[in-house]
Amino acid sequence: MLLPLILPLSVLLLWQIATAREWLAPQILPSPLTVFWTFVDLVTSGDIVEGLAISLRRISVGFAIGAAFGLSLGIAMGRSAKLEQYVGPSLRAIAQVPSLGWLPFLMLIFGIGETLNYVIIAKACFVPITINTAAGIRNIPVHYVEVAHVLRLRRSAMLFRLILPGALPTIFSGIRLALGHAWIAMVVVEMLADTAGVGYMMTWGRTLFQIDIVIVGMVVIGAIGFLMDGGLRWIERRLRRWAPVHA
Amino acid sequence: MRAEALLDTRSSLDIQAVSKSYRVDGKPREILRDIRFTVEPGELVSVIGASGCGKSTLLRLIIGLDTDYEGDILLDGRSIDGPTADRGIVFQEPRLFPWLSVEQNIALGLDSSGASPAEVKRIVTEHIEIVRLNGFARAYPHQLSGGMAQRAAIARALVSRPKILLLDEPLGALDSQTRAYMQDELLEIWRREKITIVMVTHDIEEAVYLSDKIVVMEPEPGRVCGIVSIDAPHPRRRGTSKFSALKDRVLSVLVRTQSAASAGLVRSHPAAQGGIARRYG
Repeated sequence: MLLPLILPLSVLLLWQIATAREWLAPQILPSPLTVFWTFVDLVTSGDIVEGLAISLRRISVGFAIGAAFGLSLGIAMGRSAKLEQYVGPSLRAIAQVPSLGWLPFLMLIFGIGETLNYVIIAKACFVPITINTAAGIRNIPVHYVEVAHVLRLRRSAMLFRLILPGALPTIFSGIRLALGHAWIAMVVVEMLADTAGVGYMMTWGRTLFQIDIVIVGMVVIGAIGFLMDGGLRWIERRLRRWAPVHA
Repeated sequence: MRAEALLDTRSSLDIQAVSKSYRVDGKPREILRDIRFTVEPGELVSVIGASGCGKSTLLRLIIGLDTDYEGDILLDGRSIDGPTADRGIVFQEPRLFPWLSVEQNIALGLDSSGASPAEVKRIVTEHIEIVRLNGFARAYPHQLSGGMAQRAAIARALVSRPKILLLDEPLGALDSQTRAYMQDELLEIWRREKITIVMVTHDIEEAVYLSDKIVVMEPEPGRVCGIVSIDAPHPRRRGTSKFSALKDRVLSVLVRTQSAASAGLVRSHPAAQGGIARRYG
């Protein structure tokens, strides 16, 4: 239970020692307490809440768009070997280009603003979800598919009784990967090409040479990413309640 | 009255000169050659033979999972074309969907029937009782023993009231005690449902215990080498001398073809002898 806390607590301790003994100048490495009070300030002033609200809306909308397209195309590719042959290789090639590699190009097309954020996030979600969904469906044991044919399952039963539950673990690792990538991409876009959100808050802190704000941003981004991943794992466990506990 | 009404729904199955080849490394490989036999309405017929004799392939052709073959498979005189609700199959493994409960798995058998949810519920409950899984409706497959899972698979095949039930070594993976118990369950279901059954097995004793007729096959390529009729009434007793005599008869058909094959003799169908009823078109 306490095992996962050992590492962060030791880092915190080391950080405290480092600042107490002034191994680094306070302007470069503020003490944990300073950072904590900055955090409280940012919360009470509403800055961080506002930034987070914007970032969370972006990730939700972008994720919803990317996931909807990714699931649809992934299901179609998993069901049709022909479609997979047409688009599969291109998608896997695109997946090798980091979402941020598209940033300069997309900035020219969409300009700086909400659309750019949504497009980058949706794209970051779309590719891994498509690839994983298709792979998960193709890996459903042929034994089960034969049963579905023999029972002549209708399309809805085929989808909700066989395909989605059968591919669920792979789909979910795709979704977790997607959300992780999208979150990182969004923060970077906010840092480079935006005037709102948590990422922008960090850039703003850096330009003011207020490293405490930057550190608050880092911790908040890490914590939110961690919570989102935990939430997805929880949802997956709920959906897989049928599974034996030690499997 | 119920029994009479059901009598009409029983089906006959005609396997007419069925041959099947796969291509392996570009070369055709013959799996089944000129298979011919008839299953009368309400009969329980076993297909027996060594592994590699194509008996499971034959069932896949009959159920409609594989439509690439020569010859004709007639169900009540009509050529089959893909899976339909009038044929049900139980595979060697239960093949229950692990993410669905027992009742949800069984209900899949009614998905294409257009039955109302209430009707589905009623029929599923009824069949859970038939296969004696009362109390396990909401259990998941991993919580069931092998025998229980196979009974759920039988129920899933039965709910749509198929006219003919195909069984592909359904008891092969079970321990001998469960197996003997399940054989009696199967006979009970066969009697109650008045259904036509074709069962693939490699167990001579099982075939003699259950069947009206045993189709004996030899491998490479799969061919019918004899058909043995068993006219003993149920229940049959395994220990009796009559039972042993029946087993010996089936065994003699199997052994003769094997020794003939290993001696390099011409692989012809063995001549009809006393007790071996041969029915070729």
